[in-house]
Amino acid sequence: MATLEIKDLHVEVEDEEKQTKREILTGVNLSMKTGEIHAIMGPNGTGKSTLSQTIMGQPAYHVTKGDILLNGESIIKMPVDERARKGLFLGMQYPAEIQGVTNAEFLRAAMNARRPQDNQISVMAFLKELDKNLELLDMSQEMTERYLNEGFSGGEKKRNEILQLLMIKPSFALLDEIDSGLDIDALKVVSKGVNSLRGDDFGSLIITHYQRLLNYIVPDVVHVMMGGRIVKTGDADLAQKLEDEGYAGLRDELGLDVNLVDED
Amino acid sequence: MTEAVQNYETLKTDVASAAKAHNEPQWLVDHRVAAIDDLVDLGFPNMQRFQYSDWTLTPTDEPLEFKDSDKSLADSVPFADDRIQFVQAGQTTVAVNLPDDLKQQGVILTDLFTALHDHAELVEKYLFREIKLGEDRLTSYHAAYLNSGLFLYVPKGVVIDKPIEAYLIQDSTRKQPMVSHVLIVADNDSKFSYIQHMATVGDVANAASAAVEMVAKPNSEVHFSSLDELGENTTSYLKRRANIGDNATVDWAIGLMNDGKTVGDFDSELIGKSSKADSKVIAVTSGEQREGINNRVTNHGKRSTGFILQRGVLLKKSELVFNGIGDIIHGASGANAEQENRVLMMSNEAHGDANPILLIDENDVLAGHAASVGQVDQEQMYYLMSRGIARPTAQRMVIRGFLSAVIGAVPLPEVRQQMIDILERKLEDGQQLE
Ligand SMILES: Nc1ncnc2c1ncn2[C@@H]1O[C@H](COP(=O)(O)OP(=O)(O)OP(=O)(O)O)[C@@H](O)[C@H]1O
Ligand SMILES: [Mg+2]
Repeated sequence: MATLEIKDLHVEVEDEEKQTKREILTGVNLSMKTGEIHAIMGPNGTGKSTLSQTIMGQPAYHVTKGDILLNGESIIKMPVDERARKGLFLGMQYPAEIQGVTNAEFLRAAMNARRPQDNQISVMAFLKELDKNLELLDMSQEMTERYLNEGFSGGEKKRNEILQLLMIKPSFALLDEIDSGLDIDALKVVSKGVNSLRGDDFGSLIITHYQRLLNYIVPDVVHVMMGGRIVKTGDADLAQKLEDEGYAGLRDELGLDVNLVDED
Repeated sequence: MTEAVQNYETLKTDVASAAKAHNEPQWLVDHRVAAIDDLVDLGFPNMQRFQYSDWTLTPTDEPLEFKDSDKSLADSVPFADDRIQFVQAGQTTVAVNLPDDLKQQGVILTDLFTALHDHAELVEKYLFREIKLGEDRLTSYHAAYLNSGLFLYVPKGVVIDKPIEAYLIQDSTRKQPMVSHVLIVADNDSKFSYIQHMATVGDVANAASAAVEMVAKPNSEVHFSSLDELGENTTSYLKRRANIGDNATVDWAIGLMNDGKTVGDFDSELIGKSSKADSKVIAVTSGEQREGINNRVTNHGKRSTGFILQRGVLLKKSELVFNGIGDIIHGASGANAEQENRVLMMSNEAHGDANPILLIDENDVLAGHAASVGQVDQEQMYYLMSRGIARPTAQRMVIRGFLSAVIGAVPLPEVRQQMIDILERKLEDGQQLE
């Protein structure tokens, strides 16, 4: 069993133009284990992506206080690639495009990166695994011969994030709005992909705005984030309640002093 | 001064007698001699922000000589019967493979000096008509000391679907400059790809003067690509020029992977109406290497379109200067000239420049440029590393993407892979010192 613990996490970003710093995460606490699926919901601009990027190690985000522990070990000083090899994966809201490197070549490099030099995956084993996952995600072989994400549609990019997830099989997958821009069929396919990994060795932190995704990937725990921290934690029913009542209701119920985007 | 002039008189007699002994037609002998006169008067071509006047690019102390090279220098060339291939090691043509059906259609692929005899009229009509007398010291030297090369002629309306491959191997197992001239004539409505791989065998310090002179007649379409891989001890001058006729298209995809000092002077002359040129160059420099490139597209014809794209990667203490020159001549109304020049600095000690130069003498035109000197894209790095890929590998992947405009345009998978392998080797080697 693996664990991921976020303790009183404070994070700033620097605005390079204005030369100012701004605190975005204001004390996040969250613990999870493999075997569990957690969901995070919250209004736009509240810091959900910031949290996932900080866990992954995006250099723009500076931890000013608190810690992130993976299996009890602090990772906040670790480079991004090392965190990934230790078992973290981030399905990004806006995946980068890289010309000149085929999807297949990239996938192999990513898988080999976590294997010892003398035990790299064979071409046969790789292709077998790839075919299996392509089929599961209803993706064509042709997608793997194209350059990484280049010219992919929004939905194709998301599907490709899940393909990577299935190939890499991390301990923890942080999935940032993996459902945005997906049509209903794609949403089901992507959910099927994530669900196929469910089990004792896999945990996921799913960021979403829509309860609908959570009908397909039923979470064990739902967190609500507002004003840069987690303000409420509950079970799957909490998502339904938010869907019905919106964030303003919860904010007022908790007596929080945060601005919601659609109010200003 | 009189002594110098006398020296030049001696050079003229020496060159003339070597050319005659080589059974060359009188017009070529005269052309060589006239070129030596130009050598006296003319300077090196002007290259902004790049200083190379002390390079040994015109070694007139080495006589014009015709000597065979060992054919085994070409052993690494992947011969195949079903491909269209030309292989030259030093001055020795090792193999020419041109399928019979193309021969019957009138396609010519042969050693330049053989062509001077077998296709005398054609060669006289086109040789040194685009790269002319009186330009600069480097082209003059080239004409005077020409000692190897090939002639490719594709007749009217002939379309060739397989790429024509030329392997030009510099023989640096001995002291002798490589002065190689590739003459390509694409007659009306013809269409083909030509791919050229230049490499060095041996490590004797030598000069190389390698030219491509191309005529693309109306409605023709030529896709040129090159993998230039001259050795560390070769100081090279690369001259490439195309005259592009009405409605004709020439694409250049030039992969400069030389290890030695290099100056490149590339010209697309958009002479015809609605003619098109797309001139792409990538370069990787390392060590103490210095490289300067002029990539010029000149719009003469109405509605002609020229694109320049240059991308370079600098490692260690190298220097790389890209000048992109878009020249629109008065009268070229409706012309379009776009360019993009970018260099990536992989080391603090490298010196790179991406310099767009637009010379516009016509109102009714479209022109634009983009240039940058920068670092590896951090967002792409982050994405790759977030999948566990270590920084050096991720860097090489991002760089390959940065250079993919040319790599992707190489029509043969095998040569494309070779280009990638050379790139990987250069980058790995360059990264170690960081
Ligand atoms: N790199 C950055 N530079 C400057 N500001 C940033 C940066 N990243 C995030 N922010 C700011 O931090 C706040 C939180 O952004 P974040 O992307 O984490 O929100 P989110 O909860 O994911 O929102 P959404 O639901 O719209 O995706 C926003 O105000 C955003 O503008
Ligand atoms: Mg977000």
